[in-house]
Amino acid sequence: MGSQPDFENIRIAAKHKEGKRVPLCEVLVEYPIQSQFLGRPVTSSDLEAQLEFWIKAGYDFIPLSVGMMNPGKVTEESSISKVIREIMLKDTPDAEDKKSWNLEYTHFIDNRADFENFPWDIAEKLDFSKFYKIKDLLPEKMKVIAVSGKIFTLTWMLMGFNNFAMSLIMDEQLVADVFRKVAEIQFKALEEIFGMSHVGAVWVVDDIAFGTGPMISPQAFRDHVFPWYREMAKRCHDKDLLFLMHSDGNLTALMEDIIDMGVDVLQPIDPTCMNIVEVKKTYGDRLCLVGNVSNELLRSGTQADVEERVKYLIKNVGPGGGYCIGSGNSVPDWAKFENYMAMRESAITYGEYPIRL
Amino acid sequence: MAMGYLDEIKGAIINGKYKEIENMVSQLIKDDVDLKQLINEGMIAAMDVVGEKFANSEIFVPEMLVSAVTMQKGLDLIKPLLRGEETEPKGTIVMCTVKGDVHDIGKNLVDMMLEGAGFKVIDLGVDLSVDQLIERVTEIQPDILGLSALLTTSMPQMKKAIDALDAQGLRKKMKVMVGGAPVDRKFAEAIGADGYGANASEAVKLARTFV
Repeated sequence: MGSQPDFENIRIAAKHKEGKRVPLCEVLVEYPIQSQFLGRPVTSSDLEAQLEFWIKAGYDFIPLSVGMMNPGKVTEESSISKVIREIMLKDTPDAEDKKSWNLEYTHFIDNRADFENFPWDIAEKLDFSKFYKIKDLLPEKMKVIAVSGKIFTLTWMLMGFNNFAMSLIMDEQLVADVFRKVAEIQFKALEEIFGMSHVGAVWVVDDIAFGTGPMISPQAFRDHVFPWYREMAKRCHDKDLLFLMHSDGNLTALMEDIIDMGVDVLQPIDPTCMNIVEVKKTYGDRLCLVGNVSNELLRSGTQADVEERVKYLIKNVGPGGGYCIGSGNSVPDWAKFENYMAMRESAITYGEYPIRL
Repeated sequence: MAMGYLDEIKGAIINGKYKEIENMVSQLIKDDVDLKQLINEGMIAAMDVVGEKFANSEIFVPEMLVSAVTMQKGLDLIKPLLRGEETEPKGTIVMCTVKGDVHDIGKNLVDMMLEGAGFKVIDLGVDLSVDQLIERVTEIQPDILGLSALLTTSMPQMKKAIDALDAQGLRKKMKVMVGGAPVDRKFAEAIGADGYGANASEAVKLARTFV
């Protein structure tokens, strides 16, 4: 990128102003892509290599996960899965079968008794070691974005989607109690993070919409989910941290709520169902937008296709600030590496302010 | 009770009156109403409205599921009273999410709406290999096979499944419908499926044209 990481670039974009350039921004780049970029293996335990990737690839921050669930391969790596798996290993002969403990296949809270018996005390023991370790490794102006706070997804995964959805109407108090318990644990993680001066933002990664619209009614989100995010945003802002949100799907019906509850930056403006140019026109003075380079394009397009898309986004969404270039979700291992590079290089080539496209 | 009872039952299902439905249906049974008409013009018609409302984002998954539960509670009281031919399903549908994909929210909604429309649904689950699918389909011999995928990376598995049905001589014995967020009509045609449904409501309409 030719310049040193500087989190101020993200802060300027988040204030809807033009900085030096349209920043690059991803919530996750999977390790095989990072490995190809560096030309050596990058693993989940090699924090130095991860940091080297985020610096050399031109990002102003490194995203680090803390909480009961991680982004990407959500459930196999997450602390909640480890907790559940340990319980299953004790009690069930087929615990080695991931379908018995992986939340993508099964769930654990059907009723009040399940809620009461769930090992919340074990689930709330979270590991912050990466956050402490990275402090001394970070370049001066680079920050950590703490990826945390997933509340909606974890609640429905613990309950199973159908059971969760029906209980929302037929046993609302149970759903409210699971939300509360999950949120309390996520907030506890945030409290520890808020004490760290090298953390610049919190990024909630919580899919709340299908391609067709909200997964539950906007009112149900207002009753059960958004109050927690509102509180999270407030606590971030009290500490002068940015509050970012990721959600797949068509968020059109929820945009006013998302802005009203204090989200500074929204990612990825799902390119399969949202028009980012329209979103920028309508909400660009109140919300910074990130992403929208389609993952399908990263998988099946050519480098020229990717370059065209990046140029289009920079030209139509970049002016005035309030935009960061990135994928339409995260950068998965099935994206073509050369397409990831084309996205990054096009952003560097064409993303300097003032935009000249 | 006058014929207005059909509207009352419809309204109860559309509005998810799961606590009241059993009393309402019990009373109608006592009143000796036409039970087949009650199912077709009351209950199934109600679920059609629910499907439309869902497709139009007037209601969401929770409301749709509770409507289905409400219908089921009523149906459970009626079914034992029906004669054999009146309980025959409209057709048998095998559903699954294809290999490499564990997403099932959409598929489960389609299951529920198809059952609400009177089909027998056999759900084979998620991440189903072509071999597993062929084995089960050979055994069940459904009228319709429904394939679901959320990931673009698992979409090719749909074509593999259809090709395998063809190779096993099973393809002409059933209709194949596909669905899921990245799937569209063009893709469905390209892989040789018989139809595509953009949502649960469309899937029901499509399935009705197949039987």
